[in-house]
Amino acid sequence: MQDLSLRPEQLAVARFQDHPHLTLRGPAGTGKSTAAAARLRGLLTAGVPADEILILIPQRTLADPFLQVLHAPDRPPGGVPTIQTLGGLAQRMTRLFWPLAAAQAGFANPTRPPVFLTLETAQYFIAALVGPLLDEGVFEGVKLERSRLYAQILDTMNKAAVVGFGLDEIGPRLTASALIEKNQEHIFADTQRCAVLFRQFCLAHNLLDFSLQFEMFTRYLWPSFLVRQYLNRRFRHLIYDNAEEDVPVAHDILLQWLPDFDTSMVVIDEDGGYRLFLGADPASAERLAAAEREMLHFQESLRPCPPLTAFAEGITASLNHQVIPAVPVDARARAHFLSYRFAPELAEGVSVEIARLIQEGVPPGDIAVLSPFLSDSLRFTLVSQFERLGIAVRTHRPSRSLRDEPAARALITFARLAHPTWGSWPSPEAFRAMLITFLEDCDLPRADLLTQICFPKKPGEGIRSFDQIQPAMQNRITFMLGERYERMRSWLQTYLNEPEEELDVFFSRLFGELLSQPGYRLHTNLDSAAVTARLIESIQKFRRVYQEVGGFSEPTGKAYIRLMDEGVLAAQYLEAPDLSESADAVLISPAYTFLMSNRSARVQFWLDSGSRGWFERLYQPLTHPYILSRRWQPDMQWTYLEEDRANRETLGRVVRGLLRRCSERVYIVSLEVDEQGREERGPLLRASQAVLRKLIQAEAGRG
Amino acid sequence: MVNLRPHQQEVVNFSGGRMGVAAVPGSGKTQTLSYLAARLIADGLLEEDQEVLIVTLVNSAVDNFSKRIKGFVQDAGLLPGLGYRVRTLHGLAHDIVRERPDVVGLSGQFTILDEAESEQITRTIAASWLKQHPGLVQAYAKDEYALSSASRQAWEKLAVELGIAFIRQAKDLQFTPQRLREALAEAQVDDDLLNACLDFYRDYQQALDYRGALDYDDLIRLALRILEIDPDYLRALRRRWPFILEDEAQDSSRLQEEILRLLVGETGGWVRVGDPNQAIYETFTTASPEYLLRFLREPGVVSLTLPNSGRSAKRIIDLANTLVEWARRSGDLHPSLHTALAHTYIEPTPTGDPQPNPPDRENNVILYLGQPLSPEKELDLLVKSAKRFVEEHPDETCAILAATNQRGASIYAELKKMGVPARELLRSSQDTRAAAGILLAVLQALNQPNDPKKVQHAFKAVYFRAEREDSAQESLELAYQTLGKCSQVEDFLVPVPGRDWLAALQTNGLEDAAAAWLDSFRQTFIRWQNAVLLPVDQLILTIAQELFSLPAELAVAHKIALSLERLAQTHPDWGLAQFIQELIEIEASRRKFSGLSEDDTGFDPDAHPGEVVVATMHKAKGLEWDKVYLTSVNNYDFPSGSDEDFYQSERYIIRDRLNLEAEVTARLKALAEHDLAGLHLEEGAATRAARLNVAGERLRLLYVGITRARKELVITSNTGRNGSCRPALIFSGLKNEWERRNGTSS
Repeated sequence: MQDLSLRPEQLAVARFQDHPHLTLRGPAGTGKSTAAAARLRGLLTAGVPADEILILIPQRTLADPFLQVLHAPDRPPGGVPTIQTLGGLAQRMTRLFWPLAAAQAGFANPTRPPVFLTLETAQYFIAALVGPLLDEGVFEGVKLERSRLYAQILDTMNKAAVVGFGLDEIGPRLTASALIEKNQEHIFADTQRCAVLFRQFCLAHNLLDFSLQFEMFTRYLWPSFLVRQYLNRRFRHLIYDNAEEDVPVAHDILLQWLPDFDTSMVVIDEDGGYRLFLGADPASAERLAAAEREMLHFQESLRPCPPLTAFAEGITASLNHQVIPAVPVDARARAHFLSYRFAPELAEGVSVEIARLIQEGVPPGDIAVLSPFLSDSLRFTLVSQFERLGIAVRTHRPSRSLRDEPAARALITFARLAHPTWGSWPSPEAFRAMLITFLEDCDLPRADLLTQICFPKKPGEGIRSFDQIQPAMQNRITFMLGERYERMRSWLQTYLNEPEEELDVFFSRLFGELLSQPGYRLHTNLDSAAVTARLIESIQKFRRVYQEVGGFSEPTGKAYIRLMDEGVLAAQYLEAPDLSESADAVLISPAYTFLMSNRSARVQFWLDSGSRGWFERLYQPLTHPYILSRRWQPDMQWTYLEEDRANRETLGRVVRGLLRRCSERVYIVSLEVDEQGREERGPLLRASQAVLRKLIQAEAGRG
Repeated sequence: MVNLRPHQQEVVNFSGGRMGVAAVPGSGKTQTLSYLAARLIADGLLEEDQEVLIVTLVNSAVDNFSKRIKGFVQDAGLLPGLGYRVRTLHGLAHDIVRERPDVVGLSGQFTILDEAESEQITRTIAASWLKQHPGLVQAYAKDEYALSSASRQAWEKLAVELGIAFIRQAKDLQFTPQRLREALAEAQVDDDLLNACLDFYRDYQQALDYRGALDYDDLIRLALRILEIDPDYLRALRRRWPFILEDEAQDSSRLQEEILRLLVGETGGWVRVGDPNQAIYETFTTASPEYLLRFLREPGVVSLTLPNSGRSAKRIIDLANTLVEWARRSGDLHPSLHTALAHTYIEPTPTGDPQPNPPDRENNVILYLGQPLSPEKELDLLVKSAKRFVEEHPDETCAILAATNQRGASIYAELKKMGVPARELLRSSQDTRAAAGILLAVLQALNQPNDPKKVQHAFKAVYFRAEREDSAQESLELAYQTLGKCSQVEDFLVPVPGRDWLAALQTNGLEDAAAAWLDSFRQTFIRWQNAVLLPVDQLILTIAQELFSLPAELAVAHKIALSLERLAQTHPDWGLAQFIQELIEIEASRRKFSGLSEDDTGFDPDAHPGEVVVATMHKAKGLEWDKVYLTSVNNYDFPSGSDEDFYQSERYIIRDRLNLEAEVTARLKALAEHDLAGLHLEEGAATRAARLNVAGERLRLLYVGITRARKELVITSNTGRNGSCRPALIFSGLKNEWERRNGTSS
């Protein structure tokens, strides 16, 4: 069945028989991914076995258009194609072909199975290895909290793996190119030393962090005839979406692999590169385009808005110190400036404006509120305002520590209550917070009353029953809350009488049997439910490694919670969250998350437009995304000129990317005084104001 | 349109190159500099991406400059907020470091410790440091004060102060611990005092690194290092800021001057405005008026003056000029102090000036040197006199200025006791404490939501801040009293159907206006109770953003949030109760707490007529009142350099009246300058030099004090706590000279 909503050129892409080896390029918003998804549907409809199809993406969240095809009610019957990142594929292949290459790769026990580390578990081991060295003076003078220091060592190793450098190249490269105090130069050698140390430890214990998984595949498995034969037999059709967001080593492999497929399609977004800081290399992706393949170019935007495109060009010109081209006067109606003195005024102003838009007929799901960062405070203030006005809202914040999530904290409090032998009894305040988080309609004063009465004075004593409370006080707390509390307490009591479960199993049961039921907030709060799922996953992965490595006396759950308390397990999820849910709600999200989700919005609000966060890379003294890239000439110095150029490029790319994903209007919102009481007037605000001035002049000229 | 005096016009005509301006107190330098900035913008001398950079001393001045420039720019029909940037030196350094942090080994998320926090670290180091250096104590202690449990506290205090002074000086000289170690080895110096202080410095710096943190001095030092290391960045900044206007240049330090000199480069425009006679930070920072004075003499610098001041009555101006004249010639003063005050004289404004000097009142300058006054007697006289003044002049402003915070606090307490309307402006500024206090009240209510008193207190903290019309105040008062009678708080804050305390009261006739206050509080509380689950820093930011509307208050709240967040990192088990305890410490200012610089809030004396403001003379800088009292001008608080006077840095536990801070920092400077003689100078020479430094600064402090007064001025002295002090030489000398000139006795 032909999809009527597709344009002819998209339909052409779907006809894979006519275009077996195709590279599709074009700017954002021209329907490339939709065309790629149509091709998947085309393949399935034509009867290609699903398990012969490989869909390769640089990041899991980019799977959405393909998942939609698979979840569609009218999808052709058959199996499920493989949707993977190259890292994911690497792990799968390592698992499958472990005996083949383990010895060659230098693992000490090739006969024992591999143990895959998550970011958290890798941090755990690196902390154990590097911690003592710090006390000996390694990294002297580096001003970094320890957990960040460990994370940066891992980051450097990952960069080396995805770019294709050896670990021994890290130090010399950074030393040669990074501008740094002479007496600080030792830190790069120290980084390398710690990286090598960690690598040796991993090899000795069959542990594979991300970098080692990646290298295992690219260096030892991919070159193997057996592996190639397996992959070639398995996968006959390839769709490689957002290749520009992938890493150079992935491109290397694809360059060799592409000719082997029966059909293949590579999609390149011409102005992408948002994952640069994670090693993405759009220039390297160009090599795929240059291979001898049919080339298609999409240029026409699906929801064009020429004034905004012109506005974006104006900003880019201003950023590059060029003359701002004439911007059509109707851009004035498309780009609005809102300025507020303080954040609460901003939250109110923005939410009132959004309410007005919704009244005018803009669906809430077509409105995106974007900012460089989304602090808890900003999110809370906005969400409160939106709720006050009855505006549906959904928010996303990536790379946030689970420890900071109220739901995760409440679960851990419950776990402490359920395991009194661990010796980590919760505080009354944590208990109170848990009641508020779990019990539906539980307010602060009543949670406080319950805590004062039912929380035991001595650690380890059971929590008191609601039935033991005097009737007058029961009445104050309300019987409705009392019933919810009592159900929770009896679940706990039952568990206490049973043998101890593993922590992840415990949480799964708690969620399934109690918290997901009516009367509890997680029943309706999907965000919290998602946090629970993530916590369980994190513990599972930790447990696997912990038990595999073995030799620890502490119960896994107790160790997990202790390490989380100590900040060693940041329990962070680095994957950008999935914005695909189709709820008709205003989206509040960091700008990068939005850009990486391949979404668009009719109306965008850019908060904190004065902030430098719109374009600045994460400054990390031990690593460097540009110096540790292939394009970088090792004999050059990374000075401010490079930094400034990179910043302007990034900002230009972000602005163009956002405005291509905006079909109606954008609000550029600035704060006179930010959270810190500072005035922030960064390049984005200045450049947009320069374009505005130009517009005002043009208008005056016409008038 | 601004009406400029001819001298001001000369400054405003600046269009490039270097200009130095010596301005007298009250000569309108903020106005002139703001106008100059606006003119440079309006005349189209800037490209789109360029700014005039204004560097000033304290945050309150930043706000003041921003407002004025914004006004001028708008008057000129331009978009406000573009084309200029006002920063303190710390703010500027922060901007610089934030753009290139990795060049100096920092991540983007570095934190900055304020003075209280870094002092806290030095305190944790001091005890073990003393233990590790018993020889040092032995070498310098007076016999009766050898390290013992009785004298431990005094020694630890000394260690902290010595450590702070040493570290500050070392950072100013751009010595890292490692470089300092190397320099000592190179110069083959093995000096116990230097070595011990180096150990202190090393431990301190390690503690900072571990926290991923910088102190204020690091911030400045690293900003300079970045400019030195990355020439491309320096070039970009020179392009970004083609004009730099520096306010309060008399308080410039070596690093400040180096940073600005680098930013200005060969071709940039640089205007430095200051009053060398108001340099009063020399002894506890590395600032010095010498930098401005030297600049004024530099070839190629256009050197101007702003001599006219309409602030004070003529007789007060005469007194200030008399002080300059006396200091210049007095045979009683050490000759090196003859230049402690620059020889600039204040001139009244010319006829027809929009700001004419206030007329002289009868007896408007009183230099009280009659019977020696005990501190209690002085206090009594002051309070009575000030009380009389505010009663007789309810529309005028009045301040009592003390030399120390401690004395200020007792003056304030006495005023309060005597029922005199008073306001203090001491070390922890009012707003800091107020902001912390409001946050504290709200957090306490959130922590104990069933405690009616806490809830009532939070209500008061939230609503009783602003001044309101009488009727609104009455209904608010009624609401507050009514709330005091609520025993089951949940029925008020989050009622269930049929049990709404407020609705019941309304049915029983509670007036609507009062009910509206209570309802508004309830709505606010419901919002905040949901925020309780946020991490503590985010909770504070959320509450603060709703409560506060002054940048300074927000800045304070942000500092508090950051500080508590750091505690939360190290104490993941802490709950609200523990954070509240911390906040109580902050609020009671048992811990100093400040924004990016000592003075973080703008205080407008004219907003408080009919009240007596108590401040230190340091804090009073930049402010003015109709009547000013300068107190305790004795030879303890105002030593003159002679052996008979008291010097606070010469500790009683140390032998031979040595000033250890001075001794060790002098050696440090000598080391930096490769001055071998200085490194091996006889003991005590640095102590003597430091005395003269203090004396010079105290002269300027008195000058600052005098020039705070518009219409009336009273100066008094006292005999000190032990009754052994006498009036300061600079006070009695001034009085003699004054009487000689006027032929009267006042």
